Amino acid sequence: MTTPALEVTGLTRTYGTGAAAVAALNGLDLVCAPGTFTAVMGPSGSGKSTFLTCAGALEQPTGGRVVIAGQDVTELTEARRTRLRRERIGFVFQGFHLLPYLTAEQNVALPLRLAGGRIDAAARPRIRELLDRVGLGDRTGHLPAQLSGGQQQRVAIARALATGPDIILADEPTGALDSHTAASVLALLRSLVRELGATVVMVTHDPVAAAYADSVVFLVDGRAVGRMENPAAEAVAGQMAHLDELTARTEQELV
Amino acid sequence: MLTLALRSLRHRATAMTATFVAILLGTAVMGSFTPLIQVALEPGTPSAERETLLILGGVVGAWGTVIALFSIVSTVGVTVRQREVEIGLLRTVGAEPRQVRALVRAETLLVALVAAVLGAAVASLTSRALLDLLQSGGVVSEQVAHSGGLTALAATVVLLLLVSLTAAGMAGSRASRGPATVVLSEARTGTGRLAWWRWVVAAVAVGLASSSVAMTMATGKDAADPSEAMAMTGSLGLVVAVGLAALAPLLLRAGSWVLRPLLGGTSGHLAAYNTSRRSHLLAGVLAPVMVLSAASVSILMLVGIDERTLPTGLPPEVVEGFETANLLNNVVTAMICAFAAIMVVNAFAALLADRRLELYRLRLLGATPGQVRGSILAEAGVVAAVGTVIGLLAAQATIVPFAYVRGEGLVPDAQLWLPPVLVAGAVALTLVSAAGATSRALRTTSGAR
Repeated sequence: MTTPALEVTGLTRTYGTGAAAVAALNGLDLVCAPGTFTAVMGPSGSGKSTFLTCAGALEQPTGGRVVIAGQDVTELTEARRTRLRRERIGFVFQGFHLLPYLTAEQNVALPLRLAGGRIDAAARPRIRELLDRVGLGDRTGHLPAQLSGGQQQRVAIARALATGPDIILADEPTGALDSHTAASVLALLRSLVRELGATVVMVTHDPVAAAYADSVVFLVDGRAVGRMENPAAEAVAGQMAHLDELTARTEQELV
Repeated sequence: MLTLALRSLRHRATAMTATFVAILLGTAVMGSFTPLIQVALEPGTPSAERETLLILGGVVGAWGTVIALFSIVSTVGVTVRQREVEIGLLRTVGAEPRQVRALVRAETLLVALVAAVLGAAVASLTSRALLDLLQSGGVVSEQVAHSGGLTALAATVVLLLLVSLTAAGMAGSRASRGPATVVLSEARTGTGRLAWWRWVVAAVAVGLASSSVAMTMATGKDAADPSEAMAMTGSLGLVVAVGLAALAPLLLRAGSWVLRPLLGGTSGHLAAYNTSRRSHLLAGVLAPVMVLSAASVSILMLVGIDERTLPTGLPPEVVEGFETANLLNNVVTAMICAFAAIMVVNAFAALLADRRLELYRLRLLGATPGQVRGSILAEAGVVAAVGTVIGLLAAQATIVPFAYVRGEGLVPDAQLWLPPVLVAGAVALTLVSAAGATSRALRTTSGAR
């Protein structure tokens, strides 16, 4: 069996102490094989965002393990985690998070620069290729303000791919886009998985977005309560409407 | 509105500190001099002393008003800009632009009231000390008595309050313009063309200064009154610096292009593009750095040249006039430098508070805190380098003609160590305020999302 791109075991994250303590994650288990596209869905407050910050080594969990391509990130120091984050994890955010004063090409190259590399003759064609791949080969010299929302998100996706990461974590990547642009961005993410063998984990609350994934994991109260393979939007929406049944079932299993 | 202003103030006590310090300092400095006007107008004051006292009080009072207006506009503007989101939110829930302006005015007035009254209290002591100093230095005779100057102090407080209200009005109308939204306009880039009035300000200032320089150098040596050259050239360095400050975004872009080969590494790379593509942001820091270096270098060199070359055997009342002029020079310079320094520190703090999200983003992408800090320090380095070089060039508009007229040639004979020391001070101030502001911004980003 190949090493999973992401393996999360018994993940807990508690905010506050004593009576005011809130468990955002409550023993979450999740495995993503390389070359898969997984959507993580759940209602507000189900722990989606906390899962992403812990899996992305942005935040230290209270308990449990996060293993990225065989490397346990929970036992690393902050400096080592920063290094791992920029080399092995690519992030795509709802708000794009491009640097406003860098061109598309410079934004894509930024993770390589931060990792200490000079942008040499070998790196440059690769960056161009990535921008070509996301359909922005003719926009490399544009600043974010000169690009549409969909184009900015494509730049962000190319940037997430720049270091050749083991996993791409996407947080509501289409949340700020209209439905037409959103569809093309999601199709791009899926094609990256199919054609480049990338591994994508996407947090979303949109059943249509989730339907682009290979599988959907449902999160309720900080735990995975169900999984659906080859999801269709209607089925996902139906399941979201009846999450309480999934919760009841897992509780019975636990008893 | 007043209740809202009070609550809002309690929430952002630190943000208002810069405004508070600027007004306090402004009142204290101006309030030390303005009672001299009142003393001059007392019936018991000899008429010979009256003129000296009126000049001292009037010059510092007028300069102080202009400088205080500049720095209060800058500090209030900054605190308002930091709250773009909050003001947008207020407007989306139904606050009219008029109400937003009223809120900003009320807040500023409250801060200004406390600061100006405290400043006046300080001034009531320092103005007595000042008169003692003038008397022991022989500038003013011992017969003159300090009358307390309560009227003058009250007038100073009122003047500062009016200045603060004007500043708040300007900041408030900028903030309440445009559609109501809670979105930050972060992506504004600064490569656009400069407004026409900036070119006009720069052209008028440089044109005025160069014609004065030419006139002084052509006729100044033959002038009967040795103080004429000083009056002609004293403020030229400052005039050029203020004029060029109108072109600050352009100068920063050019400077960062020149310095780009020196900006190595990831931090330097980021700094190079930030200084050239968002020059309008850092221009707010560059302008006071230019003014600070130009003012300090030009006036202190001028005083130095004057003290070396003052002809001997002049009648005592003329010597006294020179002493007064140099005292004024030093006080006004100190005042300009203090306010410019406040503006540098404040502008950096505001800039980085605005850029908190951007710094957080860099951290998300895997930048270490060191890389983030490095890039901001590199930006500050570019600003300091451009600002001090241009400040030094501007200062030549005062130094060259005055040294020439006083027979020292185009380059002064002594004190050439002074400009490097002052430049080092300006550079250090810029870097330290950038480092301090970055640490604060990074501390707050670690929790923010």
